Amino acid sequence: MKNWRIRVCILVSALLVGICLGGPAFPEGRGVTKDTIKMGMIMVKTGPVAALGLPWGWATQDVFNDVNEKGGIEGRKIELIWEDDQFKTPSAIAAFKKLIFRDQVLTITTCGGTPQTIALLGMINEHKVPNIPNALADEMYNPYQPYVFLLGATYEAQVELMFDYIMNDLKAQNPRIGVVYAETEFGKKGLEAARKRAKQYGVNIASELVLNIGSVDASSQVLALKEANVDYVVTCNLVPPIITFLKTAEKYDYWPTVFGINWSCDDTVVKACGNAAKNFIGINFVGGWEDDSPGMKQIRDLAKKNNRDPNKMLTSLYTASGATAMVFVEGLKRAGKDLTPESLKKALETLSNFDAGGALPAINYTPTSHAPANKAKLYKADLDTKTMKAITDWREPAAMK
Amino acid sequence: MRSKTFRESYQEDIRVFHTVWVKGWLCVFLVGLATLPLWGDPYVVYMANIAGIAIVGAIGLNILTGFTGQISLGHSAFLAIGAYTTAILASRFGAPFWVAIPAGGTVAALFGILLGFPCLRLKGLYLAMATMSFGVVIEYVVTHWESVTLGVRGISVPAPSLFGYSLGGEYRLFYLIFLVVVLLAAAAKNIVRTRVGRAFVAIRDRDVAAGIMGVNLTRYKVMSFAISSFYGGVAGGLYAYSTGYLHPENFTLLLSIEYIAMIIVGGLGSILGSIFGAIFLTIVPDLIKEVATFAGHHLTFLEGRYNEEWNIATFGLLIMLFLIFEPSGLNGIWSRIKNSFKNWPFTY
Repeated sequence: MKNWRIRVCILVSALLVGICLGGPAFPEGRGVTKDTIKMGMIMVKTGPVAALGLPWGWATQDVFNDVNEKGGIEGRKIELIWEDDQFKTPSAIAAFKKLIFRDQVLTITTCGGTPQTIALLGMINEHKVPNIPNALADEMYNPYQPYVFLLGATYEAQVELMFDYIMNDLKAQNPRIGVVYAETEFGKKGLEAARKRAKQYGVNIASELVLNIGSVDASSQVLALKEANVDYVVTCNLVPPIITFLKTAEKYDYWPTVFGINWSCDDTVVKACGNAAKNFIGINFVGGWEDDSPGMKQIRDLAKKNNRDPNKMLTSLYTASGATAMVFVEGLKRAGKDLTPESLKKALETLSNFDAGGALPAINYTPTSHAPANKAKLYKADLDTKTMKAITDWREPAAMK
Repeated sequence: MRSKTFRESYQEDIRVFHTVWVKGWLCVFLVGLATLPLWGDPYVVYMANIAGIAIVGAIGLNILTGFTGQISLGHSAFLAIGAYTTAILASRFGAPFWVAIPAGGTVAALFGILLGFPCLRLKGLYLAMATMSFGVVIEYVVTHWESVTLGVRGISVPAPSLFGYSLGGEYRLFYLIFLVVVLLAAAAKNIVRTRVGRAFVAIRDRDVAAGIMGVNLTRYKVMSFAISSFYGGVAGGLYAYSTGYLHPENFTLLLSIEYIAMIIVGGLGSILGSIFGAIFLTIVPDLIKEVATFAGHHLTFLEGRYNEEWNIATFGLLIMLFLIFEPSGLNGIWSRIKNSFKNWPFTY
């Protein structure tokens, strides 16, 4: 009986000592040595949306390799550790912990998609991880998140630009607008933005329909929109479902003007759909693949050098990731020799009018704002060249009450 | 000559600790484990937490499937119910963890009872389909009942705290999970060696015979569902605190299959087996990755080939291999190793 009590006492004491002493301890200068800078990236490599994650990962890797070949930064070579989250939140959390605790990376360039980044926000702040998410939501910068830097126009801004184009450029009278969205975080953001903008313009949304990412047929959505006489379809979805939608619409001889956000504004849509994409207009916060800007030329050269065939990948994703990596490289250069997560954050906050050679609209970060430029270009499918051709310059949503 | 482990009564046979050595080693192990945060790196502690949560869930499923013979493909639904109950109580009502976690378990148990009644007459494939459908329904509900679950936006869960002292972070959370695992594992061990546990096993072996012997089939089958889903709900609650954010995609059919894999690989009808299986399958992805990376350094055709889909394929392969070659799971292997040492130098 006595022994039993002693054992319980030992166990409880060990627990109490552990609780009191428990707490992570990091060595100084996380992820940086004399010769290397360890960077992490959480990006989908496998699963239904792998086609989006792969070019993203390749571009970041290619930009960092290019920097390494030119001597690195302050003599340090960048080592990228790419973790696959399969676009799943639990996997992204595990990957984040592995990168920070085990690999001890300086920072994680991108922490997965929208739900993954939102789930990780607390830990991003706790462990001081400056990152550029591909979660383009208002709440990423409003309220201010000290370690999150937003690069691209938010979903809200992109949807507003679609409505502005319909109402101001196309001068549509009493347009019948439908919304097709994925039942995901970004899809819902787009839907809400569409409702708000429609109200501001005093128009009604004729139809709101879900088209999920894995859908292989969009007959019910197309027929419902046709039935409702919708002539402008605002979508908030990825490339594969948009291809499905456009092809299904062609099958039913239904030809509305279809708008897509940056995750579906890609040459692949035109190549895959052909004539079905003739009324497709996309919005993107990066330059078009064939643009003449030095930034886009650099990105094309990188792809060529690394045997990335533009006909076999989503070039807009490659461009967006390449631009993200360029922003990080600029930040690392500005942080100088004394490189820590905090000094990288401060260096990024000095970026002013930085446009990655024209691959991006000019961005400005300050110690109190990491908001994106919120500018984007509209692109229209060009069936002759099978690319998305810019039909506007960088523009931001019209100010409305 | 009387052997040290010779048992003369049924009471002796169902003892939890057969010898003082077992008791001693368990204490040493638990004390050693309690000091893990003092010497383990944060990732190891995080993995220990995930394994601990998996242990609770796997014990629950093993009580239903391994001990009572009721196959369930809907275990992820109970985790979801427990996780969302805990998250909602903690985030909206500011409930402390010692209320939110048991509440998660209790609500899951109530749903377990609800599911248990219509499933009374179902067996095998039909039961698997019914439980799977329940999982799909719950997944749909947590995705679409936005006013309660916030749908695909996900729900943030505040860190647990005790008398104003935060238990957030891997290290402190470890002790909470550790305590719950020890308590629930001990409770399960005791449940299965009592009258209730024997009734479960009787139902598993032949329910008609059990009924004839006087086992109330309705009562015990529903009880098994309730206990199993309580464990699932508690695991869900711990998971909510561990990740700090819940999203419907966390609770898919794949999660139920992972739990099935845990109890098959660990050993059906064994508490120790559930623990082995949960730990093993938690570390398998890292293990495969390490092996693939190591192999990639030496075999060029494997270099950079690893991807996360290998893990899913491995789960499937492990279930197949264990069912064919080692139906008693890791627990069976462990028992054989133990016996061979016990009998050494004799072979019997």
